[in-house]
Amino acid sequence: MSALAHLGSTGGGAQAPGGAAPEPTKKGGFTAYLLLLPGVLWLLVFFVAPMVQLAAVSLQSQFPGYPGYYYRDVNFGSYLTAITEYLPHFGRSLLFAGAATLFAFVLAYPLAYAMAFKAGKWRGVMMICVIAPFFTSFILRTVAWRQILADEGPIASTLRFLHLLPGGHITETWVAVVAGLTYNFLPFMVLPIYASLERADPKIIEAGGDLYANGLTTFRRVTLPMSMPGVLAGTLLTFIPAAGDYVNAELLGSDTSTKMVGNVIESQFFKVLGGFPVAAALSFTLMAVILALVFLYVRRYGTEELL
Amino acid sequence: MGIFSKSTGGFREAKGDLILENVTKSFATFTAVDDLSLTVPRGSFFALLGPSGCGKTTTLRMVAGLEQPTAGRVKIGSTDLTGSRPYERPVNTVFQSYALFPHLTVRDNVAFGPKRRGVADAVAEANKTLELVQLSHLADRKPTQLSGGQQQRVAVARALVNHPEVLLLDEPLGALDLKLRREMQVELKRIQMEVGLTFVHVTHDQEEAMTMADTVAVMNLGKIEQMGAPEVLYDLPRTKFVANFLGQSNLLHGTVQGTDGDSVVIGSGDHKVKVRQARMATGEGGEAIFGVRPEKTRIHDTDPGPQLSGASIGPGTLLDVSFSGVATQYLVEIPGVGRWAVYEQNLDLDRIDNKPGDQVWISWNPGHAFGVRS
Ligand SMILES: Nc1ncnc2c1ncn2[C@@H]1O[C@H](COP(=O)(O)OP(=O)(O)OP(=O)(O)O)[C@@H](O)[C@H]1O
Ligand SMILES: [Mg+2]
Repeated sequence: MSALAHLGSTGGGAQAPGGAAPEPTKKGGFTAYLLLLPGVLWLLVFFVAPMVQLAAVSLQSQFPGYPGYYYRDVNFGSYLTAITEYLPHFGRSLLFAGAATLFAFVLAYPLAYAMAFKAGKWRGVMMICVIAPFFTSFILRTVAWRQILADEGPIASTLRFLHLLPGGHITETWVAVVAGLTYNFLPFMVLPIYASLERADPKIIEAGGDLYANGLTTFRRVTLPMSMPGVLAGTLLTFIPAAGDYVNAELLGSDTSTKMVGNVIESQFFKVLGGFPVAAALSFTLMAVILALVFLYVRRYGTEELL
Repeated sequence: MGIFSKSTGGFREAKGDLILENVTKSFATFTAVDDLSLTVPRGSFFALLGPSGCGKTTTLRMVAGLEQPTAGRVKIGSTDLTGSRPYERPVNTVFQSYALFPHLTVRDNVAFGPKRRGVADAVAEANKTLELVQLSHLADRKPTQLSGGQQQRVAVARALVNHPEVLLLDEPLGALDLKLRREMQVELKRIQMEVGLTFVHVTHDQEEAMTMADTVAVMNLGKIEQMGAPEVLYDLPRTKFVANFLGQSNLLHGTVQGTDGDSVVIGSGDHKVKVRQARMATGEGGEAIFGVRPEKTRIHDTDPGPQLSGASIGPGTLLDVSFSGVATQYLVEIPGVGRWAVYEQNLDLDRIDNKPGDQVWISWNPGHAFGVRS
């Protein structure tokens, strides 16, 4: 990076002796571009190039009679397959991710609120409790949930004993998958909400009470709207990775009825001969759907200038 | 009072003077407000003046209901408000940091209170109040798009629109520069006269308190030292703290040595000064502190003689002379007494040409002297 910057500056220096001193604004613009360069390069190499590659793969056609061999083409057949054959998986991805986001929000908001306003000296401890799980592998923690929710585990056997578990299982059901997603992405919901609440001036919340709003109304009219940037960030940080997740469905779900798009992509890439174009088409479609949803969501809730 | 009650539930209509009765507020080991009692007459402009940390904000917060007193009662007229919630009180606050709702427009900020109270045309009320503070043209902006002075006026409008029985202003002008401060002082006074509400204005700027208020209460260490009309307070401070916090005073620490007619004689070393009995606040054990304001004194380069005995002091050494056009300020070291200041308007035809190091005497009209408690 420094080598690049150095090259850039020599280039700029070479021009200077030729004429008058460069315009300050132009020079500023040049420096700004120079500073952008590392980021742009990074994006080109690690984002744009793979995207182009993925798009190319998704449009490939298969050599007839030679499974696993492709040629370059502009064939939208894989997209058709992706959408028609795997529609239920798309539905599940969005539904499970949506449910997990909702549950995470319901759990995270009171927690973040307590941390920001009620915790006092316990704030640090609570913060550590929220972050600590990150020190263990994501996979390992999900496997642990499989043990906790297993048929002979404490939760399932208690519920069964109380006749509250009609199917007899928690694992292998959508409940376990949504629970796993909720658990795994909860910190991504807590932290932004906490940050936005913690930044809110307590005097503004007091002003709500002073202006005839009781506790509940003050929360609804003042506290919640002021924390909306955090809620927005938290829901996006939860929903987007959850929609693309396959680990929870793999480890906690069933082989058939709870598979998400991520699971299909994974198996198309690694387990199905000749599945590359479909896997790539699935990835692109999922990305497009999420982008569209996020766009609508941010348009609806994110345009208000907040703080 | 539960969280499910309607927002207007429990609202107390109360009219009359604001009365604090023996109010105390303790935080753990620290007493921020100590057995404070005061009455603010309805419709008056009341200033609470005191140094940082003396308990002004805590007092206001107890009136607003944002804090509950450890002991004592808060009343408006005959209605006891102690223990009620902020949203149940006919009291509104202009916070020091304004505390405007950042997610709402100026108009919605102002309409917030009326909407919660279920006022039929909350927005129209808000518009009317914005007109009063001359901000109608900015009604659609967000608070962050306003200057400090504009935000301050929104904060005032947001409180005023509710026609509270008492309006609390916690150093509302603290964040403004001097020029804007002076403008807003006039503005606030105008608004108060126009709406006729009780204003309780907290400040640590003595000039602000004296120019704006009908009544000034000087607060120190959680107690009210003295309360009264600004002129009275300035002319006749009763404690040493007030004498020095409200303006400046030349003091002489001594003992009561007797009386002379209707005056008390206070002595310290070779110095003897007199205070009219009515202007004397005696301390314990005959200890007395004599005081006189610098602008009430004159400087002499010769002993003013026995006809001014008891109303003059000297000789002292002139330490500093600063000429400021309208007036000249002298600083005099009087042995055994301390440093006294003299402000003299430049009225003399032949200017006294005193220099630092000269021997000088100071005199005053005996009617201006006062005696304070420590
Ligand atoms: N919640 C609290 N817990 C403990 N001490 C407090 C609390 N609130 C205020 N105090 C203390 O009470 C004292 C009075 O505080 P207060 O805010 O009323 O002062 P103030 O007169 O408004 O000062 P300033 O002019 O600086 O605003 C201070 O010493 C402060 O440290
Ligand atoms: Mg204060």
